[in-house]
Amino acid sequence: MSLELSIVTVRDIFQSEVQEVGRFSSEYQKMSAIIILDKGDTKTLGVADGGRLLVESSSGSVVVGAKVDDQPHKGLAFMPNSPWSNQLVSEETGESRIPEYKSIQAEVSTTDDSITDLSEILARMRE
Amino acid sequence: MLSVMEIYQLTPKTNCKKCGLPTCMAFAVALLGKEKKVVDCPPLMEEAKYQAKREKLIEAMAPIEGASETGLIIHEEKCYGCGNCVVACPVNVANDPKGTALGFGPTNDKAILVVEDGVVKCLNVEECRRFGPNKILCNACTATCPSKAIEFV
Amino acid sequence: MMAICTGCSLLCEDIEVDFKDGRISTTKNLCRKGLGRYRSLYTERASPRVDGREAGLDDAISRAAGLLKEAKRPLLFGWSNSTLEAQSAGLDLAQKLGAVIDDTSSFCQGELLEMVLKGELPTCTLDDVRNYADMIFYWGSDPSNSHPRHMSRFSYYPRGEKRQRGYDEDRTAFVVDVRLSPTASMIKEGFFKLAPGGDASFMESMLAALGGKIPRLQDKKKVIAMVNTMKRADFGAIFPGLGLAYSMKGRMDILKRLVDGLNETSKYSVIPMVGHFNMRGFNQMLFEKTGFINRVSFADGVEHGPKQSIIEASKSCDVALIIGSDPISALPGGVARSLAKIPTIVIDPHRSLTSELAQVIIPSALSGMEAGGSAIRMDGVRVEFEPIVQGGGSLPDVEILKRIAEAV
Repeated sequence: MSLELSIVTVRDIFQSEVQEVGRFSSEYQKMSAIIILDKGDTKTLGVADGGRLLVESSSGSVVVGAKVDDQPHKGLAFMPNSPWSNQLVSEETGESRIPEYKSIQAEVSTTDDSITDLSEILARMRE
Repeated sequence: MLSVMEIYQLTPKTNCKKCGLPTCMAFAVALLGKEKKVVDCPPLMEEAKYQAKREKLIEAMAPIEGASETGLIIHEEKCYGCGNCVVACPVNVANDPKGTALGFGPTNDKAILVVEDGVVKCLNVEECRRFGPNKILCNACTATCPSKAIEFV
Repeated sequence: MMAICTGCSLLCEDIEVDFKDGRISTTKNLCRKGLGRYRSLYTERASPRVDGREAGLDDAISRAAGLLKEAKRPLLFGWSNSTLEAQSAGLDLAQKLGAVIDDTSSFCQGELLEMVLKGELPTCTLDDVRNYADMIFYWGSDPSNSHPRHMSRFSYYPRGEKRQRGYDEDRTAFVVDVRLSPTASMIKEGFFKLAPGGDASFMESMLAALGGKIPRLQDKKKVIAMVNTMKRADFGAIFPGLGLAYSMKGRMDILKRLVDGLNETSKYSVIPMVGHFNMRGFNQMLFEKTGFINRVSFADGVEHGPKQSIIEASKSCDVALIIGSDPISALPGGVARSLAKIPTIVIDPHRSLTSELAQVIIPSALSGMEAGGSAIRMDGVRVEFEPIVQGGGSLPDVEILKRIAEAV
């Protein structure tokens, strides 16, 4: 099952703390490579908290963990600002040359693939 | 938050009075008020048939027994260290007009709430408005917490 | 020992640090984000490298100078985590090289900060807010997560000269956001939830209410009541975050109209929620020198514009010097891929995605802890600081830049 969602990036203090301490730590990946979803949307997708999701935009894709939110926001998802969310942000920036960090359109679907790690993101950079 | 009824359900419900109180319900109230501990109920601690209840009750009571005398529980893993509670606490403000009252960290050792290593800690608990027989149910610290990292039981 | 925190642009000055065996053992008054910065003294530190191999500091500096000297269009990027002294040395280097210079404000709060620095939006200090503000407006910002002590030190909870009775009696707050953020959860009655991108039309509704008309959007009664409350305030402060910056880009004239309108009957100031500890310092310095806050090339006099932005320069420059920033992490994947293709020099206390791909890595001392200097807080107040620990042998940013400039 897949869903078209709008993604807004947000700040999270615990992720910021870990980013300072260890960008290459597994903790940083755990707190960054996530997508926070509306409960109804997770039901539609058939994904539980901690399940893996492939998130694809016209600019790129990542596999991240699902997190179910207590707050309802159907059709809208949140990701902490990180290299993972940035793989989905378009390099087309219009006149302002400011990327659409908080307005990402993506297709989200369940997957058995493992969560994208930083070495994979770095390998893409080297291509 | 745990209710008296929930605690009562985990007692033997025999009203045996071995804890020194007339009923198991009174014992449950005393547990919640931190006047008694689970170990004060001999049947629960000694009789095999209560083993399941005993384990559940000890688990349920852990946060309450870990709370301070005012019932304050701090969930360190949720705390932002933002200091909202430190600055909003009326006792902190009254005792430190040049420090916490103005948004700074405490400048003397009278503070009830301080942030240490990124996490709030409770000191001088007897100064808290919730302490002792004449307590007032002040909630300045919990109401200003962005992450429900502190609560009263 | 008292110390300051360079974890964000609040530059908190009341940090207490205790040491044991030469290492920091306990801290007081640091938030979790600031604690992260302090903990990072001992984690993932960078070491000098050239072309993927360990190297001496002198070799790294001379290789950096060599790359920059040969470059036709060098880019100097980062700066928001550097001291004013380092920024000034960087500006000298940019002029000497005829380089493009840009900072993180280019894809962050640049547009708003430019309006503040040009005087198009009235502003004030955070101390003024604490002392006088009775109306606080967090717009597209969530200080609890981004600037954790903002509300307790300045904007909502503390007492001030004219605000002696505490926040619940003395201050009114509103939050506009796309989600019930932790900040919004504390100010539920004043929370307005918008659809993503809905800021401009919400602002138009406020303008209508301000002009005595019926707003077309949102809960009309709630907007009118809010605007009436805002008009009655003595001293208002608006804190726009990245939510507003991204949603309203290119349309900040609407915000200006709103602030102007509010200032007809009351006093309103705007303080953009600058992220990194000295981004405003860089913007102010470049503005004083060139009239522009970012996106400048010194190739032929002073040129400013989108071509000199990090987004364009990542594609058009042939060597990049990145200081105190991790653009490979922070830029859209496609732009980061372009940047990854050009030879890069990284000056940073820590390893980063950018340093993993760099030709030259020069480790630097951690400003505020291992290196002293000065910085400009988000509200324009200058803060000076001394080192509190002996550096682990790394030079301060400013020394590294001066040595590169000498070798160029």
